[in-house]
Amino acid sequence: MSDSTEQIRQEFLHDLDAARDLPQLEQVRITYLSRSGRIAVLFDGIRSASPADRPVLGKALNELRTFAQAHFDERKAALEAAAGSSEPAFDPTLPGRPRWVGSRHPVTQTLDEIKRIFVGMGFSVENGPEIESDYYNFGALNFPPDHPARDMQDTFFISKDILLRTHTSPVQIRVMEKQRPPIRAIMPGKAYRNEAVSARSLVQFHQVEGLYIDRHVTFSELKGTLVSFAHQFYGERLKYRFRPSFFPFTEPSAEMDISCYLCGGNGCRVCKYSGWLEILGAGMVHPHVLKNGGIDPEEYTGYAFGMGIERTALLRYGIDDIRMFYESDVRFLRQF
Amino acid sequence: MKVSHAWLKKFVDVRLKPAELSERLNMLGLEVESFEDQAATFDKFVVGEVLQRDKHPNADRLSVCSVNTGKETRTIVCGAPNVAAGQKVAVALVGATIPHDQHDADGKPFVLGRAKIRGVESDGMICSAHELGLGEDKDGILVLDPKLRPGTPLAKALGSTDVVYEIGITPNRADCLSHIGVAREIAALTERKLTIPPVRVMESSTAASRAATVRIRDRENCPRYCARVIRNVRIAPSPKWMQDQLTAVGIRPINNVVDITNYVLMETGHPLHAFDYDRLAGHTIEVRGAKEGEVFVTLDGKQRPLSAGMLMICDAERPIAVAGVMGGANSEIADTTTSVLLESAYFNPSGIRRTSKMLGLSTEASYRFERGADIEMARYAADLAAQLMHELAEGEVLKGIIDVYPKKRRPVEVKARVQRINDVIGTALTRAQIVRLLQRLGLTVRPGRGNDLHVRIPSYRNDLLEEIDLIEEVARLYGYNRIETRTKAAIDFSAGIRTDRLEDALKSHLVGTGFHEMLTLSLQQESLAQMSGTPGVKVLNPVSAEMTTLRPSLVPGAVEAVRFNQNHGSRDLRLFEIGRVFSPVKGKNPDTLEGFTEEERLLLLITGVSAPLGPGSGTRKADLLDLKGEVEALLGKFGLDKIRLIQYDTPESLTEPTVGVEINGTYAGFFGKVRKEIAATFDVGEPVFVCELKTDILGKNWNRERRFVGLPRFPSVTRDLAFTVDAAVLQGRVEEAIRGAGTSLLTALTLFDVYSGQQAGTGKKSLAYALEFRAADHTLTDAEADAVMQRIIEAVRRECGGTLRG
Ligand SMILES: [Zn+2]
Repeated sequence: MSDSTEQIRQEFLHDLDAARDLPQLEQVRITYLSRSGRIAVLFDGIRSASPADRPVLGKALNELRTFAQAHFDERKAALEAAAGSSEPAFDPTLPGRPRWVGSRHPVTQTLDEIKRIFVGMGFSVENGPEIESDYYNFGALNFPPDHPARDMQDTFFISKDILLRTHTSPVQIRVMEKQRPPIRAIMPGKAYRNEAVSARSLVQFHQVEGLYIDRHVTFSELKGTLVSFAHQFYGERLKYRFRPSFFPFTEPSAEMDISCYLCGGNGCRVCKYSGWLEILGAGMVHPHVLKNGGIDPEEYTGYAFGMGIERTALLRYGIDDIRMFYESDVRFLRQF
Repeated sequence: MKVSHAWLKKFVDVRLKPAELSERLNMLGLEVESFEDQAATFDKFVVGEVLQRDKHPNADRLSVCSVNTGKETRTIVCGAPNVAAGQKVAVALVGATIPHDQHDADGKPFVLGRAKIRGVESDGMICSAHELGLGEDKDGILVLDPKLRPGTPLAKALGSTDVVYEIGITPNRADCLSHIGVAREIAALTERKLTIPPVRVMESSTAASRAATVRIRDRENCPRYCARVIRNVRIAPSPKWMQDQLTAVGIRPINNVVDITNYVLMETGHPLHAFDYDRLAGHTIEVRGAKEGEVFVTLDGKQRPLSAGMLMICDAERPIAVAGVMGGANSEIADTTTSVLLESAYFNPSGIRRTSKMLGLSTEASYRFERGADIEMARYAADLAAQLMHELAEGEVLKGIIDVYPKKRRPVEVKARVQRINDVIGTALTRAQIVRLLQRLGLTVRPGRGNDLHVRIPSYRNDLLEEIDLIEEVARLYGYNRIETRTKAAIDFSAGIRTDRLEDALKSHLVGTGFHEMLTLSLQQESLAQMSGTPGVKVLNPVSAEMTTLRPSLVPGAVEAVRFNQNHGSRDLRLFEIGRVFSPVKGKNPDTLEGFTEEERLLLLITGVSAPLGPGSGTRKADLLDLKGEVEALLGKFGLDKIRLIQYDTPESLTEPTVGVEINGTYAGFFGKVRKEIAATFDVGEPVFVCELKTDILGKNWNRERRFVGLPRFPSVTRDLAFTVDAAVLQGRVEEAIRGAGTSLLTALTLFDVYSGQQAGTGKKSLAYALEFRAADHTLTDAEADAVMQRIIEAVRRECGGTLRG
């Protein structure tokens, strides 16, 4: 018999839940709580129970009736409130019903912002493979075989001549092979370096590569483009400078520093007390690289630049361990 | 590389202060990472004379000293047992920064204050070598030379007034790997003269050529070999000034002969090697390739297997050095050495690099040779070292230098065009300005036709090979920051601007529906890669066993992320990732390397509760229908309507059940519940629901064209229907029956309840639908609606055995 009270309780709850307006709710009342309803019928059944069982059964049925009435009233109030018939006082201190709130990964957000700026300057977005040949990753980019410049980038090899790209620069060559100048493209993507894992370095990271090839492209214009980018990304008031550097695939090569926005250029731990932060590497596309891409370096010149996204994001958000980007910890992701 | 300010001054009149010099070198491309000003380190440290030592009235171990620090006598409390009257000691005055705190575990520096020690005021501190950063001795104070005058600045007393720069030299600038090289850059920068003092070697009358023979068998890899012979050397420690200079630039002094070779290396950039002359069989040097399988013991005591292609220095019988990399134990300078054969050679960079790589051995010498040494420096370096051996080791330098240099380096001349230089940089420099800039670098410029310049490249600048190299030199010396920052750009729009809009749109949609984007590692454990049954791509040189294989699926990495989050208390997760997967199978994507597939995938993951906890949220756990709902919403958002979902379960699938997603007849991925065994390998007990889709299939079928459909002009009629059917009947069959019978009048169908409880009857289930009917051309009457309802009820009864639920 108690099985049947439990069963009615379940079915009642189900039907109550399914009732979507007041008429349907009234139907539920009639089925369960009316004078000839299913609960009343059970009460009738007490008489046929043995005298010993009656008190227990009666108690169970009373509980069921109270339970059902309470839930019914609650549901009715809710439906009435929804229908606007009677409105209970609003408690403004109750929390709103929570929603799932999502987020873009901080690396994506940083990349998106960089893309937005360069797309605004007329750059297309191009992609290339992460499994690359030695030729595209090194040879075509003017890294001679057996040259110490290769030590600048510790490489994961798949086979003797196939590797995981160590930078996004091989996409430069692929774009040149597909497209005639003018070429104006950025190439975002993952790259891999065989370095010990630490707070500063993780085997994989993202880069954005930029390439502009046309007639009369100058170093002067490269500076202008990058300064404009830095102003949009880091703020209008920063100071900047360009330092000579070395990359086999550009010449002249440069690195760009901006005044440290954490300390205002006065020196802090992040900028190693120099007041400057290095933000990217750049240069004029080396004539050998143009030739390897099938472009006549006498007719065309070009510039290229590249920057690491994780590093940029670390600085941007004040994160101090690069590994956090790849742990997928929602306590971390939720913050962006 | 460490560079000493004092050492630089030997070659150029440096007038810049260290900070300014660092800044200017930075702007020239020599990156000064840091510099250490030794005098500044010992600011407020002076020499003191202990006049009297008394026992501390309140402490047995302490003493109270009166110390004369020049102008005054101070009372200083000292704890060292070795302090005594009459000693000259290093005194830190109040305000000095003590380099190492002996009482701190990390030995951090601290600023000395005035302090009362057990009731006695101490006006300064007598320092130990360890506290000064000069050694490891912590037990007693440092006792200085008794001849020193009290009050002398400590830096001066110690001879540490130098400034040492740490400079990062890029691989193209081998010429800067020495003090002369850096001095040359400073000379160019400050327009001052570089002076390399000439060397006059004091030679004996015995000819070196009669004492030793040099033969080069491999002229390709060894174009030049100079040797000098020095007899009757006395091996001893080198003088303090040389030890100090070597220590300052990070080289440990060993003995006078070895120190001299290192000193000359740091000064000229030219690597030298000193052999014990008496241990060379036949007093002969032969430069030749190694024999495959030979084993050689280098002077670090390690056995090195040799292979053909490595260049060796040999005597008449056996190898005695790995050319340009490291000498051998069999001929190294020992305390008993009396005669030296000094090698100053030039080796081919790529040969040295190959050898160094094969041996896994990189040295100061190989580092320079593989970047390119200066072939014309060989003789000067040998002379300088020989003369120093005469001066500092009492050696007798035999007359003459053996110089085997069969094919002299031909002068290199590079043509540069004034117009081209300006075209690349974006300047309007005159010919005269350019010539001047090049001359400052020590290049000789000869006028050519028209505006051409013929530039003679000195032997030390092996990085200047063509016009573009000279353009960089002009820009560098002119100053990158003086070049105009031109903000006008011509943009050609003819090619259009492509962007990756699909990825962006997917992310926007998913973030809007409450998913967090994650990024997982492409390289994973092989066991994870194997879970999906597809072979992964393995790397030959993994950094660790956790990262050996490129992922063939995003799923295992995602379940790993669930584990990580559960371990950190986060159990309710909605995550997505867009990233590439890899396989060693030829793919269709033309942008993928031949023989591999690289494919971008989208992964969705749900686990934990179905709704975030809150008033009335309930605690229902998310299930496969929650995920299916997300998948349908996503596909709908991108106008992907030709979808077929096919349930298939194979033993290899990552999920069970697994539902395959077909878009326009093409397999696009799957969704399902992660197999228990797989979740268990990550210690994940909660059900995890995942979906993995190929984004290129989504992209190809993405219907971006939207056409407006006119809104209905006539009202609709809504009716609910609930059927009871056998539990085994699929909902889809009932829906199909309803739609078929509903004809075009049925404009919407929504399943709003599924119930299989007791009331539905044993082995039965109840399905409740909200149906919307509408006619396109008139207001639907109740009678029309009733008629179509009857047809539907009849159809469900006939086709699915369904009965209307009362
Ligand atoms: Zn700072």
